[in-house]
Amino acid sequence: MTDFLFDVIATELEDAVGKENCSTRTIDKVSHSVDYFWLSRMWADRGLRMPEGDFIVAPKDAKETSAVLKIANYYKIPVTTWGAGGGTQGGAIPVCGGIVLDTKRMNKIYDLNEQGMYIECGTGAIYKHIEWAANEKGYATMHYPSSLTCSTVGGFLAHRGIGVSSTKYGKIDDMVLQMEVVLPNGDIIETSPAPKHAAGPDLNQIFIGSEGTLGVMTKAQMRIYEQPESRQFRGFLFHNMTDAFNAGRELLQKFKPSVMRLYDEAETASLIKKIVGVEKKGAFMNIAIEGVAEMVELEKKILLETFAKYGAEDLGSEYGEKWWKEKITFFYPGHMMDIPQCFGTMDTIAPYGTIEKIYWAMKEAIETNFPQAKFIAHFSHWYEWGCMIYDRFIVDGKDVPQDPHEAFRLHQAIWSCGVRTALANGGVVNDHHGVGIKLGRLMKEQYGPAMQVFEGIKKQLDPNGIMNPFKLGL
Amino acid sequence: MQFTQKSKEHIDACRFCWMCHHVCPIGNATGLERNTARARALGLSMVARDSVEYSEDIIGNVYECSLCGGCMTDCVTGWDPVMFTKEARLGAALDGKLPEYVTTMISNLQEKGNIYGAEKNANIPEIAEGDILFFLGEDVRAKGCAKNAVELLKKAGVSFSILKDEPNSGYSMDFLLGAAAETKAVMENCAKVLSNYKKVVCYDPADAKVMKREYKEWGIDLKAEVVTFTEFVAGLIKDGKLNVKNSGIEFTPQDSPLLARDLEETEPVREILSACGSIREMLLNRNYTMLAGNLIMNEYMPQVMETVAANRWTNAKNVDAKVLVTTSPAEYILLAATKPEDMELMTIEEAVLKCL
Repeated sequence: MTDFLFDVIATELEDAVGKENCSTRTIDKVSHSVDYFWLSRMWADRGLRMPEGDFIVAPKDAKETSAVLKIANYYKIPVTTWGAGGGTQGGAIPVCGGIVLDTKRMNKIYDLNEQGMYIECGTGAIYKHIEWAANEKGYATMHYPSSLTCSTVGGFLAHRGIGVSSTKYGKIDDMVLQMEVVLPNGDIIETSPAPKHAAGPDLNQIFIGSEGTLGVMTKAQMRIYEQPESRQFRGFLFHNMTDAFNAGRELLQKFKPSVMRLYDEAETASLIKKIVGVEKKGAFMNIAIEGVAEMVELEKKILLETFAKYGAEDLGSEYGEKWWKEKITFFYPGHMMDIPQCFGTMDTIAPYGTIEKIYWAMKEAIETNFPQAKFIAHFSHWYEWGCMIYDRFIVDGKDVPQDPHEAFRLHQAIWSCGVRTALANGGVVNDHHGVGIKLGRLMKEQYGPAMQVFEGIKKQLDPNGIMNPFKLGL
Repeated sequence: MQFTQKSKEHIDACRFCWMCHHVCPIGNATGLERNTARARALGLSMVARDSVEYSEDIIGNVYECSLCGGCMTDCVTGWDPVMFTKEARLGAALDGKLPEYVTTMISNLQEKGNIYGAEKNANIPEIAEGDILFFLGEDVRAKGCAKNAVELLKKAGVSFSILKDEPNSGYSMDFLLGAAAETKAVMENCAKVLSNYKKVVCYDPADAKVMKREYKEWGIDLKAEVVTFTEFVAGLIKDGKLNVKNSGIEFTPQDSPLLARDLEETEPVREILSACGSIREMLLNRNYTMLAGNLIMNEYMPQVMETVAANRWTNAKNVDAKVLVTTSPAEYILLAATKPEDMELMTIEEAVLKCL
């Protein structure tokens, strides 16, 4: 791009969002070039600059977003939407330069609707802020991922995020009622006023999980709930994973706890021992039940009876309460994996019939092919029909090549090996972190000819291919 | 720009961590990614790796932090963005790269005794009545009013002095330059004057903060005992020197981060307000408070400060608060400028005077 054309576009973008909200400053470009993706972090750590946007723009609403997308389409400039940058899959990295559209100025809380039990807000709102708004009126969002404080509403929607209380309250895609979306051509649309209907396919679910490739979500109505009268925890230790899966599956035919987390023996002996203090060998499982006090008492009785059948040792409430208190502590620097280690979380999901097989197959594949990698896992989101694996590989810093290109290759090779093993055994490419640029290449392997459905929608909505190129395998 | 090993360690811990994103009053006001502790750390980590120059816009970003310590308080591991931000400011000074607005404020301080370049406030009385010094601070002298505070102390029968030529405490120099030799010189000069008194009652939490923390940390010899105004007034009520009656008013305290976080003082203001009426807390209170404004930053980011103050009014409104009470003159001035019509703003001394 010539300097002259650069200035033409810059002034048009300034006109769209205000001069102070359109930046070409180094600090803004750098800030929007590194997200939580290991590769971007490693790259920056080695003193290299990641691909950067040429213009960082922050529209305040759908109208300004629309103006930006019209400019981008006219000049055929890539647009990468950025929430808060907490994604692990590189979905927000402007790999082709162009415009980075930061949504955080769209952070207004428009309405806390006690009749409809939702908060209507801009998608740039940090989720913790809408949780605070709910708490101030005695409600809660019940969406509690580890990234609650550092991710936007739109960020969670863009990659189908999930929180620790998902078994009772659902994923983010279960928590949204209506949305406002700006299409790549600049048209502003609204999805249907109710999320359940027979008026054709669900528009919400087309954009949720689309990772900025089909448009920009600018406003959303997110569900709120009454605070539970009672919330009780119970820790258990299982002899083996098979017993734990069977116990969990049987429990879910009877009622839904809010939190269900099973840790494999390796993670029980490492993270759980360190943060929660469980010293015994086995597979630790933490359960939370909550709601009306009388019902919680009844559910506790059913829980204890069900798990006793599978030989689970009842560890009481202490470990579970500690876990709840420390649930975010795991993710602070000093507790969490960090550079110089090489690491990743390959979350996958499958029905009960295959989930344990996938776990063992992935563990074997990683540990056999990459003996320098440790493999630990927990199972943290459970349904009546199956559950997900949150499996991690960790390579010690001493075993990670200092050369960034070699480190890059090692990282990609481990990921390809792990995710392909999951796919081969009946798993899905990802459960709740999304695809981004990290897993785009594996989307075609997951979907085969079904990928043309996504490609067709993309081609129709974004004929110039400007929206978040090379993400989601599109 | 050379960082100490300690700063480097904190910068590298924070550069890839977003956990405190939600508590930054500046980031919440601007919605800009660069106004997060992690973005600032990332920029500085790249400066430390020579992949980015310590340029005007990286330095500008270093001055967009209020040093309120919200991020530090929120961090369960104890990483400290305030520490490395102050060091980066000192580095900019040592490299001769200070932004113009900073050099202007420092020149003002040297010439007029305050960063605002304000002339001496003729309305502030000089009182010489004892060995308690009532230290007003530069914000009140240049921009505020201490009339009610003086009246309150008189009603309590306290004998106190107010200086005509009050030295600068060094808070603003510490904010702008960090631990520079010039900052220390300003503080030493202040300590010398204050040491003529037995007790110093600091009206402004900013001055109390440096006198009680930085003076000690840097070995500056201050002989006088330093107490905050809130602590002092709470003592006067407890000792029966101020006979307050419960007015039935429901007050909502705006905890100054300087008091609540830097000095870990949260209860005196509540003791005072409980004696005067009742308390309705905001969701973010005590050491989890949110800054309501900084007058130094108001010199170069006035629109952002306006939003910071307005956001705090929103917090108050969300819990149906009616009367917001501040202990910081800077926060009072900025909150007053954005006050919603249906809400009331008081200083702590106004709240007490109303109940005598």
